[in-house]
Amino acid sequence: MENQRKGIKKSKGDKVFDCIVIIVMAIVIFMCLYPFYLAVVMSFNEGLDAQRGGIYLWPRSFTLDNYAKLFKDGAWGTAFAVTLARTLVGTFMTVFFTLFVAYGLSFKELVFRKFYYGVFIFAMYFSGGVIPYYILLRSLHLLNTFWVYVVPGCLSLFYIIVATSFFQDIPKELGESARLDGAGEFTIFSRIILPISKPLMATIAIFTSVGHWNAWYESAFFVSNKSLRTLGYLMIAVINSSKASTAAADASMQAASTTTTLSIQLAAMVIAVFPILCVYPYFQRYFVTGMTVGAVKS
Amino acid sequence: MKKREKGKDPQAGVWKQFWKQRYLQIFVLVGIAYVFIFNYIPMVGLIIGFKDYKITSGLEGMFTSTWVGLKNFQEFFTDYKFPELLRNTLVLSILKLIFSFPIPILFAVLLNEVRSKKTKKFIQTVSYLPYFVSWVIVAGLLRIFASDTGIINNILMSMHLIQQPLELLTSPKYFTVIAVLTAIWKDTGWWAIVFLAAITGIDPTLYEAAEMDGASRIKRIRYITIPCISGTVTVVLIMALGNLLGGGLSGSNFEQCYLLGNQGNMAVSDIIQTYVMRIGLSNARYSFATAVGMFQSVISVTLVFISNFISKKVSGNGLF
Repeated sequence: MENQRKGIKKSKGDKVFDCIVIIVMAIVIFMCLYPFYLAVVMSFNEGLDAQRGGIYLWPRSFTLDNYAKLFKDGAWGTAFAVTLARTLVGTFMTVFFTLFVAYGLSFKELVFRKFYYGVFIFAMYFSGGVIPYYILLRSLHLLNTFWVYVVPGCLSLFYIIVATSFFQDIPKELGESARLDGAGEFTIFSRIILPISKPLMATIAIFTSVGHWNAWYESAFFVSNKSLRTLGYLMIAVINSSKASTAAADASMQAASTTTTLSIQLAAMVIAVFPILCVYPYFQRYFVTGMTVGAVKS
Repeated sequence: MKKREKGKDPQAGVWKQFWKQRYLQIFVLVGIAYVFIFNYIPMVGLIIGFKDYKITSGLEGMFTSTWVGLKNFQEFFTDYKFPELLRNTLVLSILKLIFSFPIPILFAVLLNEVRSKKTKKFIQTVSYLPYFVSWVIVAGLLRIFASDTGIINNILMSMHLIQQPLELLTSPKYFTVIAVLTAIWKDTGWWAIVFLAAITGIDPTLYEAAEMDGASRIKRIRYITIPCISGTVTVVLIMALGNLLGGGLSGSNFEQCYLLGNQGNMAVSDIIQTYVMRIGLSNARYSFATAVGMFQSVISVTLVFISNFISKKVSGNGLF
């Protein structure tokens, strides 16, 4: 009897607990998805009408004007092109360069290996801060060029560490036989090592490309040339619309239209988030392993 | 190794081996040259905090400019902005740590209790979507939620809880709350991955034994899950403390304050990092801004060592 009561009591407590879990999870899903959903809805709604508020689930007065305006605006078009270019070029450079260095570092018999390791680790934890960095970029004539987007970040110290331990697990015989056939180290690296490192390359690529796609910092502080603005920067300019000159021009244009700076920005946001939304679930297994490997190593 | 020990001159052996593996050395040395330029030169450049640097003197000017000792630091400590910047930086950082650190742990523990594997995976995937969008997007989303005509004000008005729309985005009263809440929103799912991985690694026989003994699920969480992940929690906590002034786990203080800050809420949104940017890049006071930035770095490094020391004493876990 006692046992039975205990059993019932336990399952009751567990049921309550289950309910709490379900409610919390429902809230989490709602909180994570609804803001994006609403942004999409509002981007298809007339801007002036949206200002009145009260739109929660679907567009009240549907329009494609926001997107049409966005695509016609030269500044946004350029920003898309620049952002896409830095994402592709930057990701390629980072993946290749990081693995290149890590490959050399993965040989246990490498002379000065410990010293090299120390140099990389120290650089990972300490930095000179933004002002000396700015002076460096200025002296290298990187400011105000496209290269400031891709060159300074093209060696990921964190992934050097991850990739080095990854390469160490590859059987040495793979490279050894090629070496006996007279293949150079670079040939071994590009023909044998890279093809079997696809999961690692995918991990580095996904993080780097998302970082590049989202980046706004360099564009805001290291670039003043209007034709080199990135998407992120342009959205900031709209947020600070009072300061931005493009927004002022926008406002005068808007006298006869239903779009607002916000509604156009929302359209840009939807387009900016869309590629991330499409890509990130597929690479889940890669970056979850990448992250846990990284966590264990550090 | 053995060959080298047999050689007569070990020094010559090292260089001989170096020459033998010269191509591999090139792989690494290219990387070393790169970090020397992009990481170590700026570190050396910190000396301009003790100098009177002029940007026209270029990179060499870092070394040739005149020493001024601690003048820049003194100037900062006596600046009327100093107490405000320090307070804003500390308040925001500490509140973010207190409120945003436990939530991923709690979320991971609860998520682990979801029975269906597919559902679990789905929720997890959804939960870290916000991590992958930039703070620019968050700032944009806030405009539709928290502006005068945004959803939050709309709902509160229609429920007659307020007469006037709250100035959520421009009043200093709400900035810190919004910063903490958006940090939680953006990072919870991401950091839960680490904790969930730790929970998944717990020996399942522990749970089975507890179940046999009739332990309720809450008790299993309290006595098995939480103690088993405490090592991971400690490591992540040290990492978060090390970057306390940068904004904890994801270091988002600068981005939040720069993107959500404005004339209206500047009294609380202006932190040391935004000040460094403004005073350094906009006002071109390079030496002064470097000194201000160094002040924050020194505090951060000290915090890493203190938290590592304490954690080693208390739990035996530490980063180094």
